[in-house]
Amino acid sequence: MTVFWLSVGFGFVTASVLALASVGLSLQFGVTNYVNFAYGAFLTLGAYFAWTVLTGGHLPLWLAILIGSLGVGVVGVVSDRVVFRSFTRSGFPLFYLLIVSFGLSLILGNVVQGVWGPSPQFFAVVSQYPLHIGPFLLTPAQLVIIGVAILTMVGVHLLLTRTRLGKAMRAMSDNPALAQVSGIDINRVTTWAWFISGTLAGLAGIGLAISTASFEPAFGENFLFIIFAAVIVGGIGQPYGAMLGAFVIGMVTEVSAAIIDPAYSTDLAFVVLIVMLLLRPQGLIPARGKA
Amino acid sequence: MSAIVFYIATVVNYFFIYNILAWGLNIQFGYAGILDFTYITFMAVGAYVAGVTSLGRQQPGTGVTYILGWHLPFPLPLLLGGLAAALLGLLVGLLAINRLRSDYLAIVTLSVGIIIYSLVGNLTGLFDGFDGLVGVPEPLNGQVHLGVNTYTIFYMAVTGVVMVILWFFAQRLRSSALGRTMRAIREDVDVAESFGKNTFRIRLVAMVIGCFYAGIGGALLIGFVGAFSPGGWSTLETFIIWAVMLIGGRGNNWGSVLGSFLVIALLSEATRFLPAIPNNAFLEPALRNIVIGAGLIVVLRFRPQGILPERKAQFSEVRAARAGPGEPHAG
Repeated sequence: MTVFWLSVGFGFVTASVLALASVGLSLQFGVTNYVNFAYGAFLTLGAYFAWTVLTGGHLPLWLAILIGSLGVGVVGVVSDRVVFRSFTRSGFPLFYLLIVSFGLSLILGNVVQGVWGPSPQFFAVVSQYPLHIGPFLLTPAQLVIIGVAILTMVGVHLLLTRTRLGKAMRAMSDNPALAQVSGIDINRVTTWAWFISGTLAGLAGIGLAISTASFEPAFGENFLFIIFAAVIVGGIGQPYGAMLGAFVIGMVTEVSAAIIDPAYSTDLAFVVLIVMLLLRPQGLIPARGKA
Repeated sequence: MSAIVFYIATVVNYFFIYNILAWGLNIQFGYAGILDFTYITFMAVGAYVAGVTSLGRQQPGTGVTYILGWHLPFPLPLLLGGLAAALLGLLVGLLAINRLRSDYLAIVTLSVGIIIYSLVGNLTGLFDGFDGLVGVPEPLNGQVHLGVNTYTIFYMAVTGVVMVILWFFAQRLRSSALGRTMRAIREDVDVAESFGKNTFRIRLVAMVIGCFYAGIGGALLIGFVGAFSPGGWSTLETFIIWAVMLIGGRGNNWGSVLGSFLVIALLSEATRFLPAIPNNAFLEPALRNIVIGAGLIVVLRFRPQGILPERKAQFSEVRAARAGPGEPHAG
């Protein structure tokens, strides 16, 4: 039973990282209506940015996390402005955007490889003593990850329901043409969507690097299919669905590690993804017109 | 035999193999519109199966473990590699090709690739895990007994013959009724369906044939290099073949040849002569991939159909209707 509760604790950590990543991917997908296959590379960039600021700049960890995340937000905006926008504006079909984002993933992955080299790096905060909290055993860093994720989810909820920008994003997600004729500045909303998506990717990448101890240039790309699993379980293009999907996938992968060989626990996310696609491709909380 | 001849023969071998790989992806995407984001996985399966069916029994004490351990004469490992890849393609196709948006197909194929990558790496009994297979015998060299350099030139004939056979098949398929239906599905699934075509089954056929090409390409590659490990088929390697096919021109097998020449012969191989960048050994291969990625994005932006666009059937009414403002044609 103890092992079970321990793995539930780790499930909360993984679900937190996944929630940050899935909400970011879903938010951008909802607004722009195409999947960003470079999103895994965004996570990688977040970890490397924060690590560089932390070890090179000798700044406190919270500042490194902030700078790293916002840095990826800027990368998101630049990717949109320099690459994606020129394709969407000329009315290219969907598959061009998927391939272009795949190409961007290759570019960013190799920028990381060229600048930081292929060997694994790690955050010094990893070696902390774990604390007993109820039946769980978690390090302070892991608790911070859970806390940051909860705060961010509340923030995203307030953004989507209480602000003009959030409402505009939901309007664009429902019907871009109608949103545009209603006077919404779709260029501005798209830019914000990319910035928030990138920032959340960066935050998730840093959280993932801290919770899995080490990171290397491909670690975000290898995590991407788990994000896809969470997003599809929840319903693609739906930030609330993404939160639910992240919780399901996080728990499934970590709790299963108590039963099966942990080397294969992430493969279970793939099984869930396939079962969902076969049985309920629109996800648990479907978004209209996205499947 | 001078080193330069040996070098050119090596590049030509890669060029031939990448032609085959690009045609397979062209059959999947250029003909049938299937977004296969894990094409390299099928190449890897072909390479591994050709490896384990030609290596012979595993040697005790070396620590190298793999399945089968057959020692079959030359054309058989090649064919088995192609068939194994086709079989995996059938399974993935059954799972991924349905009537959902193409995003899902891309997501499922990408996920399948990452899963198979980690399984092959972790299950060391399969194809020796992350260490990979080594010492794969050179096809037919048991009969011809050639040195390394001469064999490279001889192998050009082997890959060349296989390439020519697959070229004729790809070209015949393209103009056949089946190939025309594939291209109709690519343009508009609903229209093809309304003409009574079983679009699912025809796309599945395109998937399987494309994977067979990938498997043959992989089998030829492992016969040439003699070793193969997961380092050689990471997810992003798939993109290189996409770049070859799209830069040349999708739907057009001549385009794939041009793309293969540009990307493989010029960029990947010829740049090896450039002086190394001091203090950073990782920068040069990284830059090469960045150039390929950026090159493809630029080509797609300014020449969406590729350098050699597919020649489509022309009808005077359609041409008149298209005289308006040209927008990139949906594929």
